[in-house]
Parts: sequence; structure tokens; C-alpha cells
Amino acid sequence: MAEIRPEQQTTTISKTFLIKPKLKPKPRTQSQTPESKYWSSFKSTQIPNLISSISSIAFSPSPPHLFAAAHSTTVSLYSPLSLSEGDVSPSSNISSFTDVVSSLSFRLDGLLLAASDLSGIVQVFDVKTRKRLRRLRSHTRPVRFVKYPVLDKLHLLSGGDDAIVKFWDVAGESVVLDLFGHKDYVRCGDCSPVSADMFITGSYDHTVKVWDVRVENSRSVLEVNHGKPVEDVIYLPSGGLIATAGGNSVKIWDLIAGGRMVYAMESHNKTVTSICVGRVGEETLGSEAAEDRILSVGLDGYMKVFDYGRMKTTHSMRFPAPLMSVGFSPDCRTRVIGTANGIIFAGRRKGKENVESGGGNVLGFESIAGPERRVLKPTYFRYFYRGQSEKPAEGDFLVMRSKKVKLAEHDKLLKEFKHKDALVAVLSRKNPENVVAVMEELVARKMLLKCVSNLDVEELGLLLMFLQKHATMPRYSSLLMGLAQKVIEMRADDIRSSDALKGQIRNLKRSIEEEIRIQHSLQEIQGIISPLLRIAGRR
Amino acid sequence: MIRGGGSYVSSPPAFSNDAKKLLLCTANTVSVFSTATGLQITSLEGHTALVTSVIVVPAPNPAAKGLCYCWTASLDGTIRRWDFSVPELLNTVDIGMPIFSMVIPSLCHPAEGKEKHGSLFAYVSVEYTKETQEKPKVFRRQIRKCNLSKSRLVGKLILGETPKPELLIVSPLGNFFGIRNKCKLHIWKVPDPEPERAITRITLHHTKQISVIAFHPTQRIVAAGDVTGRILVWRGFGNKTFNKGNAVVNERLIDIEEDKPGVRDNDDADSCSTWHWHSAKVKVLRFSSDGAYLYSGGKEGVLVVWQLDTGNKKFFPRIGSPLLHFIDSPDPTLSSISCADNQIHLLRMPSLGILKTISGIKAPSSYPEAYKGLSNGIAFDQTAGLVALRTENYCIQFYSLVDDRGISEVQVCERNHQPGDDITVIVTAVALSLDGSVMSTAEVKLAEEGIGGLVCLKFWVSGSQNKEFSLSTIVYEPHRDGGISAVTFHPSGCMAASSSFGGDFKVWTCNNESPKNEQVLQNSSWTCHAVGSYKKKQMTAAAFSADGSVLAIAAETLITLWDPYKNVLLAVLGETLMPIVSLSFVGNSDNLVATSCGSKAQLSVWSMSKLSLSWSYKLHIEALASAVDLSSFAALALLPESSNETTFDERDGVILLYNATEPVPTAIWSARKAKGGALGFLKVNPSLAEVISVDGKSPELLLAYMNGDREYVLFDPYSKNAREVSVIHKEDLAAPELKGQAGQFGYASIYGDLPEYDMKRTPNSRVPSFPSERPWETIFSGSSHALPPLTKLCSAFLESLLEKRTAAVE
Repeated sequence: MAEIRPEQQTTTISKTFLIKPKLKPKPRTQSQTPESKYWSSFKSTQIPNLISSISSIAFSPSPPHLFAAAHSTTVSLYSPLSLSEGDVSPSSNISSFTDVVSSLSFRLDGLLLAASDLSGIVQVFDVKTRKRLRRLRSHTRPVRFVKYPVLDKLHLLSGGDDAIVKFWDVAGESVVLDLFGHKDYVRCGDCSPVSADMFITGSYDHTVKVWDVRVENSRSVLEVNHGKPVEDVIYLPSGGLIATAGGNSVKIWDLIAGGRMVYAMESHNKTVTSICVGRVGEETLGSEAAEDRILSVGLDGYMKVFDYGRMKTTHSMRFPAPLMSVGFSPDCRTRVIGTANGIIFAGRRKGKENVESGGGNVLGFESIAGPERRVLKPTYFRYFYRGQSEKPAEGDFLVMRSKKVKLAEHDKLLKEFKHKDALVAVLSRKNPENVVAVMEELVARKMLLKCVSNLDVEELGLLLMFLQKHATMPRYSSLLMGLAQKVIEMRADDIRSSDALKGQIRNLKRSIEEEIRIQHSLQEIQGIISPLLRIAGRR
Repeated sequence: MIRGGGSYVSSPPAFSNDAKKLLLCTANTVSVFSTATGLQITSLEGHTALVTSVIVVPAPNPAAKGLCYCWTASLDGTIRRWDFSVPELLNTVDIGMPIFSMVIPSLCHPAEGKEKHGSLFAYVSVEYTKETQEKPKVFRRQIRKCNLSKSRLVGKLILGETPKPELLIVSPLGNFFGIRNKCKLHIWKVPDPEPERAITRITLHHTKQISVIAFHPTQRIVAAGDVTGRILVWRGFGNKTFNKGNAVVNERLIDIEEDKPGVRDNDDADSCSTWHWHSAKVKVLRFSSDGAYLYSGGKEGVLVVWQLDTGNKKFFPRIGSPLLHFIDSPDPTLSSISCADNQIHLLRMPSLGILKTISGIKAPSSYPEAYKGLSNGIAFDQTAGLVALRTENYCIQFYSLVDDRGISEVQVCERNHQPGDDITVIVTAVALSLDGSVMSTAEVKLAEEGIGGLVCLKFWVSGSQNKEFSLSTIVYEPHRDGGISAVTFHPSGCMAASSSFGGDFKVWTCNNESPKNEQVLQNSSWTCHAVGSYKKKQMTAAAFSADGSVLAIAAETLITLWDPYKNVLLAVLGETLMPIVSLSFVGNSDNLVATSCGSKAQLSVWSMSKLSLSWSYKLHIEALASAVDLSSFAALALLPESSNETTFDERDGVILLYNATEPVPTAIWSARKAKGGALGFLKVNPSLAEVISVDGKSPELLLAYMNGDREYVLFDPYSKNAREVSVIHKEDLAAPELKGQAGQFGYASIYGDLPEYDMKRTPNSRVPSFPSERPWETIFSGSSHALPPLTKLCSAFLESLLEKRTAAVE
């Protein structure tokens, strides 16, 4: 057995301390929570110039999670992969509609897409070929929602302005059940993620009804009253809770407890138009790490993220238009928001591309063999670097190169005791913290005033400009005010002889006057407040 | 008593022959340190005054590398020979005059000289103490010759006289030695064979004061550094004088005019060249063992390596402190450098990385005049037996009083070492919490003509036992412009108070509840809890009571008592004659001690229960210490100047131990160098109790006294009769000699040990050209003319390089 004798540990003899600015006080509360960091990590792309408002967005449940957006009489299909490369044109369009498309839904395998339009027809398309497979006609008024069940491939659910909810057999193009009970337009609905037979619908009659196809008399099993016309309703992933959106509020209801309201979130200022379930955290880390959130969008242009575990709004984001629809991809990588004026804001988060189910397979490409490895010849540049990226084997003797300390220009100059050059170098860098730090170091070396007296006219102008900009900042003022006075005293003759410097001095004077005015008004305010505080303290 | 804290750098150290040990002169003893661990192995005790030279007897042949004899010379006028492996005193030569330096040139070329003549000569630099009337005082320092074998000085032979005691330098081959003398350089040739008298001398002249000299190992080259930072290199010195058969001492030969560039005053040298890089006095000058390089260093803390032939230089900057000595060891990869801050760095040679640091107690930092009245910057950690010391270069050194070695350092202010004279950043206060886990420091950056001054308060936390402190909170300008006069910690450790000359005090709290939890501690921060002031008077001292319920703040001559939690003024005690400089609650008793300085210095004890003065003395108190759970306190009082010489010999202070209720001290000790001293009680916890014993028992409490030079002593203040505290050194500390691995270097570290080669074996007994299994083991073991041809050697040699590892394992 070979024994490796490690080189004796040595520490380097020289310690180098860089010139560092003073620390800033840390805010008590963090400016960005991990969660808001997560939500802002979705890199937003705009898909502009669609015809009218985006009434519905649906994600395909199968990778690579295509999404479909309905705008006017067209359904556009987008690939998130091409979006992340900056391509905003749809991968395909379906436009065989006679009226405005109101709702979209993918089947659970992602192969079929159901779309409803305001002419009262529900159509089923093949996603790949974009051919229409079925036309379901029975609604007499515009259809407002269509939904494939989460666990069932054969049926469809739809509802519309005729206040009837229909349960379809897709293959036979026939209605299995007509569900009566809503007294106004049915606007939305969702199918239970845990049962193939249960679903909910929401209507403008303020109620959300829970239906079960197994119930004989086709009456609703449960009914909750939202209190406002219901715009959207979803099942939360556990299947026991539902969220309803209507008016300015999103409400969460516990179905298992018999339709008890759990919480009402009222953080939107205008009508909430759409909600969906989003997830925080990596999908790969497992369900423990990932937590579900409710994403809600409203006409006020805000997207809010609601943590229904802690009953808290954890993030909110503003968009420049009323928002109509929202979608979140099952792989947690894409978030799509549709607006009322024909713009889609698609956000995509960076992450590992899922290779085996990635673009190649879906698009039907075989993986292309990589370029052949060329033999290295001395004519190649890489020849001279061969073997340098080799990883050390287990038994190899490692000789570490000591880490190089990165020195800024002013650090180098200070090391060489070129004090004036260091001051000029840092002044031209426009980082006030560093400038003040260098000045403090020069004070510690008792060199600052000597530097000031050695500056030539141009460099003096640089210094005066810096003083004018930063002398009134409270963090630096204790040093810079004194310095400004000294500079003017010491270099009075130079300043008088140069017009540019005179201008600088005028500016400096103006900013000082401004500061004095601020201080006066602050003192006035203090004078008003302090007796009040006295009185308050006495009680 | 445990003594410690001496200087390690007063004289050049010496390496043992196997380079595993380093011998340092530490006051009256010579301490032997292991170079592998950097810890003390043993010490040679016997001298009664400062040891000034230590010379290791070199091994005559490589086989006798383990030879551990050394000569030491001391100011007590004796030269002693030791076996430092045992350690044991072998013999003593009494000269009767203080020896400032000693060289033994014949040791440098071993064996022969000694065998032939049977006597060993040493050259010593002594102070002639007898017959003071005859000679003027300036010329009492002499260079003399001493016959060590016969234990006497050689007659009345005086080689030279100097106004100051000078350091003798011997050339590595042992044929010359020299001293500096103002602007001159005296070089003597050691006669061979050594007769009793005649010794020739030459003098080389320079225009500036010479500070240090060095001899080239093989050639006739001598280098000298002067006070202006120039380095002069004389080549071929003494060619005429020393080569002439019977030259007379000091004879000047008048020659034919010859071209001798740079040589002054017709000195006897071929040439003299000058190099100038250092800006101040050169303190270190040494040739490398092969003679190709010259090392120089000085106040800048930069080691400069000069290539002797070309004068090209290389720098090893930022050692952090002025350099004093540079010694290379018999192992070519190891050398040591001694710095003025009492640190000895063991360097790995060509790369100059620090292998180990032997860390002595650092000297106190110097201050501008305005800050002379500050506290001494020493804080005791009562439980761990540590002391935190303010030192040069904005550092706080943690020093273990029991083990007598430095533990760690905290760089309070991150600035590079500047060799300038002006000190512009000062650490003004250091405080440690009771459990030693939190430290607070205050620093002042002096303003330049009224701009840019800054006061800074910092809190540090240590995670683990090793006292690695990390910065927790910085407070810029805690009291606006006012300087901080004192910082003190609440007994619980999560509250602190700082008082300011600006007229207010602040109470700081640590914002997490459980400071015991280490992880929380790392991100704990300190925030201001309360501010208070009393009639806009300067706040000069602060102290928390033992239970933490009362905070006492001195407002000039008054003492104000506050509730630290509610920030309510409880009572005002007053008043003393002069401003109070320090306050301390006496353990668990209800008494408060205050000291004030100035023309009417005072020690006063106040009773908390009666809120009145109990008793007071007119004493100038330098330091106060009170134990946590006892009702007594100790004070270090400076004696008035007049009484100094009459009653106490050189002792300028007394340590007084009082019971707080009685004005009569229970014990008094006198002390040296009390100015700038410090006192502290140390608790003896079970881990310490094993190593400390007083007459076989362990005391509960030790009192530590540290004098102005940072030498300290630990003793049990309550044992009346025998005050001997002995330290049983832990065996594991006493240098585990790492056999094998650490001991090998150079060729042996790569290829393993060579088989012992016998000189007397006939070279043709074994011609190493036949291919054995391991040709490299025998390949070089023959005389050079019997080596096989290069073609055969090459393949075997390369093979040996390839099979390094299996060869090394065996």
C-alpha cells in the first residue's frame, strides 16, 4: 500500500487587508423573503399582439407541458421550451371556431384538448394534428367552461349561460347527465383530483355546488354561498378544500366539514378573475419540500400568491393591465398570465431540462449523435491545454496553489504608498463607499490633507464633484463636511483661477443651502412633535 | 508560583543538530521548544541573571546528530555547559563579569582543534566591573578571550574595548569573528592552531553607525547593515593582514595605490558594495547556508532576500512586526525568524511559509501622549485561565497563563501593518464577559486636523473553547464623538454597558435569549437598550454588581447607581476628591471599590447597604481585581517615588489584599515594574486543578499579577506559609517527538533513508553496476569514479523517481 505523506501545512507569512467600506446596518426585516425570491425567479417574457383578451389558459399535464391560450376565436399552443429561448410565436394555432373561445381543458394524458365557445358548442381536438375529433352540441346558450376530469379520459364537464351543467360522453358525443340547480349563468367549474365522480361548479347566482354523478336524482350534494358572483373555482390538491373567487375576495372552503368557510382573502382591489394552484419549491426534492399556494389574478393587475397553510399572502406582483387568466405548469417551471388587452406574460424559471421527456421525444426526433472527437494535433490550440482539466485521482499528491488576493486599483496604490494616486483612482470609480473608505484610511495615515494639497486642477474638480454629490449624505457627512471646508480653505487660489472649479463650488453651495433648508424644516417638525411626545409620555 | 510571560527574542535562538529543537533564551532560563509542535519541551534552569547567548555544540559527523550539548552565557558572569536532552548542567565556568555575548569559534570546525590542544577557547563580550576608578566608564565593555577547558580568562588579554556591550558574530567556518563599534567594524582572525595570545584584527570603516554584521559561510565576505538602512558588502577583507605571517594587531599597511572600489580609508578589503532598500535600521542580516543569498530585515517587517552575485532582491512582506533575528537550522528546509512582538516563526525554507509559531506574550502597544491615562488593556478570563492583552497592530492576544503560551489573536481593526511612527488607530478598551464567550473592544481613529475621527465599539463572540472570536456587531460612533472610557459586561453575558467621556452611558443587549446555543450565537447581534447621563458629567468608569441588578457608573467624582433593565437612577454616592478611573463591586459582598488618580489619588470602599463611604486610603492604585464569589479584593498600588530606593530594591509597587469590610490589608506583596501592571483573580476549575498544586493541594483561586513588561506570576493569595505553586506539565504537551514522518527532510523524505554508508569500506568491494531490485539504493554509494556510465545510471535513476511511493513505504 502506498502511503501519501501530506505536505506539511504552512500558512503564508503575509496577511493583506483590503480597504473596506464601513458596514451598513442590516434592516431588521429582510427585504426579500425566500418565497418572493422564488416568485421573482420566473423570468418574464411578453407574448404581445394577440387579438383580444385571454379568456382561458390551460397546461398540458404531460411533459413538456405545452400550454394553450384562448383569445378571440383562436386557440394558440405554446411550448415553454421555445419560450425560454425567447421565441414568442405560438407553436401552433387552432382557429376553427365560429365564436369567441371561452374555456380550454387538456385531457389527463395531454393528447386531447377540449374547447368551448360562445356559440354553445364544445369541440375536442387532437393536440398534435390539430384536427377536430368531436363536436358536442347541446347547450343552447354560450358555454362558459369545459373541463376534463382529472382521473377520467372518457367524459367531459361543461356549463354555460343556460344555467345547466352537462356531463358528456365524449366518444358518443352524447350528454350523460344534465344537472339543474343553478339559477344563473354557470361560469366555472373544476373536477375533483381524488375522485372521478365529483366536481364543483360556480355560478353568477353566488353559489358553488358540489355534484356527484352517482347521486340518483341529479341534485347537488353540497352548496356554498360565496356572496358574490363566482368567477372561478378550483379544488385544492388534497381534494378536501376548494377555493372560490368572486368579487374582490378569494375564499377557501372545507368540503369535508360540510362546506365551512376556512378563510377569506381580500387583498385584491378589483374583481378576482382567475385562480390556480401553484407550487413553491423544487419538484425533485419531493412533496415535503414543495408547498402549494393559490395564485390569484384580478382586474386590478395584481397577481397574489396566497399560502393557505399559514393563511398569509406571501407575494404579490403588479402587471400593467387587467388580468384575466392564470396558469401554472405541473413541473413548477412556467407561470402564465393572460391580460384583458391581448398580452400574455409567461414566466419561466431556470432549471434542469428534463432530458428523457424533453423536446426531442415529443417532437419525434431521435437524439443526434454528438460531433466526433477529433484527435488533437500540435496545430490545434487545444493541444497545448490537453490534460490540464484532468481530475486528480485518489492517490495523487495535490500541490495547492495559494489563492491570489484580488486587489483593487486603490489597494495596489495604497500598498505602494502612492496616496494621491489612490485617491484619484477611487474618485474616478464612482463608488462613494469606497471613496470614503479610502479617505478614512488616508486619515489614519495622516495623508489626506497632503493629498488634497497635491491634487492638480482636474483632479480637484473630481474631488469637488464628489463632495457636492455626497457631502450632505448623513452617512458620510461627518467626514465630508469637514473635508469640504478644508479643501476650500487650502485650495482657494486654484478655485478662484478656474471657472470650472468655480462652477463646482457654486453647486456645492447650492446643495449645502438645500441641506440647511431641510434641516430647518426638520427642526420645525421636531419642535411640533416633541411637546406632543412629552404629553404622551406623561400619561 | 507560576511565572511566565518572558521575552523570547532578547537573544538569538539556536537550533539543535537534528533541527527538532529550538533553544530560546527566556530571561534566566533557556527554554527548549519542539519545532514539530511549537510547544515547550523543557527548560535549562540555573543561571541567576539574563541568559545572553546559547551555542549548540555541532555534531562532528552526521551520525552524531542526536548530540545535545550546548554552552550558555549569562549576565551573572558564568558560562555553563548543558546536556539539553536530559536536561542536565554539566559544568560551569565563572568569569565574574557580566557576559553580553559569547562565541566559540573552534566549535565551528569540529573535532580536530579540540583534540590537539585539549582546550576550548571562547571569546566573550563582558563588562569590566572591577576597578571602576581606574578606567573611564565608557571603556568598561571589553572583548576577552576565555579558556573554557581551564575555566579561566586568558590572562589580561583584552582584544578590544567598546562603549557599549556589543554582540559578537562568528563566521560559519569559525575562522573570523567580529563586532560592530559605532561606525567601525572590527574583525579578528581566529588563529589556527590557537595560541594563547596573538590575534590579528582589522577594522573596516563606514560613515554611518553600523547596526548588524554577518559573515559569508565560505568566502571572505562580510556584510554590515547600518542605521540608515544601507547594506554594505565587503569582499576579500583582510587579504593582506591575515595572510601575512605575523602581522601586528592594528597595523596599517601602506600599499601601492590599487583599485579598491568603495573601500574607505585604505581598509583591508578588495571591494565594498552598497545596497539600499530598507528605510530604517537594518536589524537582521544573515547569509544563506550555501552563501548564494543574503537575508536582511528591519523595522518594516519585510524579509528581503538578496542574490549575492547580482544584487537582485525578492521580498517576503507583511510579517507584521519588526524583525530581530533570523537563524537557519541544520535542516536546509527550516529556519526561524524572531519578531519584535515576541513571536518566533518557524519557516519552511525556500517558500517561506510559516510552519509553526512559537508565540510569546506580546508587548504592550505604544500610545500617543493624550491616551497615556487609558486603562492597561488587559482583561482576565477568570474561568479559563486566559488573559486578553491589547498589543501592537490593533490585535488582542489571548494568552494562556497556565500553559505560558499564546492561544489566539483577534485583529480588532483590519489594517495592514504600517511601519510608520504615528499611531492613529488605538484600541482603547477591552472587556471579557464572565464566561469568556463574549468580548467587547473599543477603538479610536484619531482625526487628522479635526476631520475623520471615529470611535468604534465592537462585540465579538467565540464559538468554541479555542477562543476563535468572530465579529458580531460593530457600532460606529456609539457616543457620537465621545471616546469610550470603559466597557463592562453583565454577569450573565448578554448585557453590556459602555461609558463615555462625552457624558452618557449606554446599555447594550444581545438580541437573542439563549446565548448558550452556539448556532444562535453566531448570528446574534447587540443593540442599544438604554441611554443615560447624569448632569452631563463625563462618565469615567462602569461596573455591574455580582447579581447584575445594579449598574454603577462613575460620573467624574460621583458614583451613580442604575437599574440596568429599567434604566432608572437608583442612587448617587459621592463624592471623591479626584475623578474616578475604575470601579469594581467586591464579589458577593455589598461593597463597591472606586479608585481615582491624579494628585489626590484615592482608594475608596463604599457600602451599598448604607450608601456611604466605608473607608479610604490615599494611594495611587494602578489596577483592581475582585473575585466573583468572595468578599475580598486585591489592589496594585504604586509607591511614591521617594521611597523607591530606600526601602524596596527596585520594587515600585505593592499588591494589597483587602477584606472589603476591613481597612487593614490581609496580605501585602511587593512587586517590580508595577507601572502599567494588571491584577486578576483566576478560578481553578477541575481541569486546571490537575496541573496546579500548592503543597500537594489545589487552591480554589489564584491571583495573577502582570507587570508593565507583561511578565506575570500566579500565586495563591490565601496560603500564608508556602506560596509555591508548581505546575505539573501535561505529558501530551511536552512535545510528542514525531519519529519518522516529521523528522525526515530533503533526500530522505523523498526516497527514504539511505543505508548507512561506511567510509572505510573499499570502493571496489561492490561495483554497483549490476541491476539489483532496487538499483537506486546503491547507485550513488561509491566514489564518483566508480559510478557506472550515465546511460546505465539514467534509467535506474528515473526508475527510482517513478517508484517513489513503494520505496518510501517500506
